[in-house]
Amino acid sequence: MKKLSVFYISLSILIIACMFVIAPSSFAAKALKIGIVDCYSGPPAAYTNDVRDAFKLEAEKINAAGGILGRKIEVLTRDSKFKVDLGLSAAKELIYRENVDIMMGTINSALALAISDLCKKEKVPFFVTFAKSAKITGAKGHRYVFSITENTALVGKAAAAGLAKKPYQKYWIAGDDYEYGHAVADGVWNNLKKMKPDVELLGQSWWKVGEPDFTPYITAILSAKPDAVIVATGGRDCVPFLKAAKATGFNERVPFFMHTATELGTLKPLGLNAPENVIGTSNYFYYYPETSANKSFVKNFETAFNRKPAVGAVYGKLAAEFIFGAYKKAGKVDTEKFIDNVQGMWVNSPLGQVTMRAYDHQAMLPMFMGVTKKVAGYDFLIATDIVTIPGKDVMPSIAEIKKARKK
Amino acid sequence: MEFAANITLFALLQQVLVGLSRTTILFIVASGLSLVLGVLRIPNIAHGSLYMIGAFLTYTIATLFGQSALGFWLALIVAPLCVAVISFLVERGLFCHLYEREHMMLLLFTFAFSLVFGDMVKLIWGSDYRSLTAPLFLQGSFSISGFPFPRYNLFLLIVGPLVAAGLWFLTNKTKIGKIARAAAVDREMVGAIGINVSWVFAAVFVIGCYLAGLGGALVAPTQNITQGMDHAIIIEAFLIVIIGGLGNIWGALLGALIFGLTDSIGILLLPQFAIVFPYMAVVTVLLFRPKGLLKSVW
Repeated sequence: MKKLSVFYISLSILIIACMFVIAPSSFAAKALKIGIVDCYSGPPAAYTNDVRDAFKLEAEKINAAGGILGRKIEVLTRDSKFKVDLGLSAAKELIYRENVDIMMGTINSALALAISDLCKKEKVPFFVTFAKSAKITGAKGHRYVFSITENTALVGKAAAAGLAKKPYQKYWIAGDDYEYGHAVADGVWNNLKKMKPDVELLGQSWWKVGEPDFTPYITAILSAKPDAVIVATGGRDCVPFLKAAKATGFNERVPFFMHTATELGTLKPLGLNAPENVIGTSNYFYYYPETSANKSFVKNFETAFNRKPAVGAVYGKLAAEFIFGAYKKAGKVDTEKFIDNVQGMWVNSPLGQVTMRAYDHQAMLPMFMGVTKKVAGYDFLIATDIVTIPGKDVMPSIAEIKKARKK
Repeated sequence: MEFAANITLFALLQQVLVGLSRTTILFIVASGLSLVLGVLRIPNIAHGSLYMIGAFLTYTIATLFGQSALGFWLALIVAPLCVAVISFLVERGLFCHLYEREHMMLLLFTFAFSLVFGDMVKLIWGSDYRSLTAPLFLQGSFSISGFPFPRYNLFLLIVGPLVAAGLWFLTNKTKIGKIARAAAVDREMVGAIGINVSWVFAAVFVIGCYLAGLGGALVAPTQNITQGMDHAIIIEAFLIVIIGGLGNIWGALLGALIFGLTDSIGILLLPQFAIVFPYMAVVTVLLFRPKGLLKSVW
């Protein structure tokens, strides 16, 4: 009897002691977890690494100053390898096992839509970085998804605004035969037709994603003699197409427009061999505008990572500003309060002030349209004659979003 | 359906020329595949991976010399030889022990190797894509009545017939070629005469893989050198071999011509559906000649 009671007493002391150890640690160590699912292998990694690095830089800064709302920020990344099934299971693991507070990602539009669906069910806010499908905040938008990147609808409006000012009448459309390619082409063409009704479409060429040889397509387009060409290539084919354009002298024979043709990520790999006079739209240049916000951002990024920031870095910074800013405003880690605070919020960024539109959770990013040129002092081509199209001019109207979501 | 406007004769001629230069690469790769298929009766699925290795090696060697003209020519010679060496090691190390075994084993082995090579390339070169520029005098384009014709494509148009001629010479005029053709038809008989069939197989395998490497080296300046190259080319190469006639090198040439020309002319005529044309051509050929256009070796 005595032995048994001794046993029971020591067992209960042990259990109480364990509770003292476990409970406080689970309170103190509870970090603010942010999960990022993205493609870190293959060509897309060149873009996605910047997002993660810029975001982590901001998180580390906050952690060094003591964390946010008394918590440390923990950033967890998972590689989707550009596959929807891998990315989705990684997202599930982050949500169910790691209990992340916020999800971020990804450059693959199909995966972004899948994760958006998952986050809607699980009520976890999801910030889309890079994926450009207009469906994300359009037809498939909902309370828990936010986009801090431009999408094909914005690109279409911005590009059309720029092209409508040019004298070109007869157009040819060419691009990657998949959702993104067609979405960009449709976006540009539909808006262009609205702004300049007398433009004429001579024909279209669609090649498979990853097409190795553009020469026959280029020669076919040239034989049709359009005034200008709209090239709708996705991340994978932009660089190879520009290479082929230079090799065949395509850019010298007919002006063409390509979204992201003026971006650092596209022009840097080509060095001085990139084609000149290509019209492009882009979200960010590290060399323009030369505001103090941009300059200090570039300097901090370069000091930390030894390379100049490309557009992905701005997405990472915007995500950090919105997420951490909204938590600070909300005053506590509560999902619904967080969302209420992000809606309509504006932040300072290297692009100036950026607002998160409350209705569709789309960041109102400005677009820059420019022309590629060789300029002394850079060992790659840069954009010149840059025209800034402010965010509010490129956003689809709220009526259009309402209509898309009703379908 | 919209037809491209203004299809002049010159435009058509130029498309044909561009298609022919595409044919060159397809022919070189497919002929290597056909050779191995005919003599060894192995459908070498790793053929595409060797093509990819050839392209990556060309990039590395050329970059070592600063992507200069010297670097490129050196790479063009060395890279296919390296691929040949790799294939020799694989053949002597593994395949030659399997010739007596069931056919499926060899097929599975080549498939396994295609996966292994694919990941090896990823490990060594990383998953970024690489870009190689041709030497300066092969860059840029000629202007044929206002249409650009890239100089590199012209170079390919010269190389193609040279390789074809070389292969013809090899298979018809040299001893090893004649033995290989004999072994393709009846390997037991060749063994009975006293020729070491195993070494014949090794030689043929190495030559076939050398051709894959050569194709990869030649294609390197024209496109992005990336991970998916092997899958893309192996499908096209197999289709060409099938429509040309299994094991028949001239069939490979014919198949490559059909494939390359229908592709480029299709792009001119119906650019929205251009991807479909070569495969439609393949289906048409197989409907009428299921055994392939030319006589197959089997």
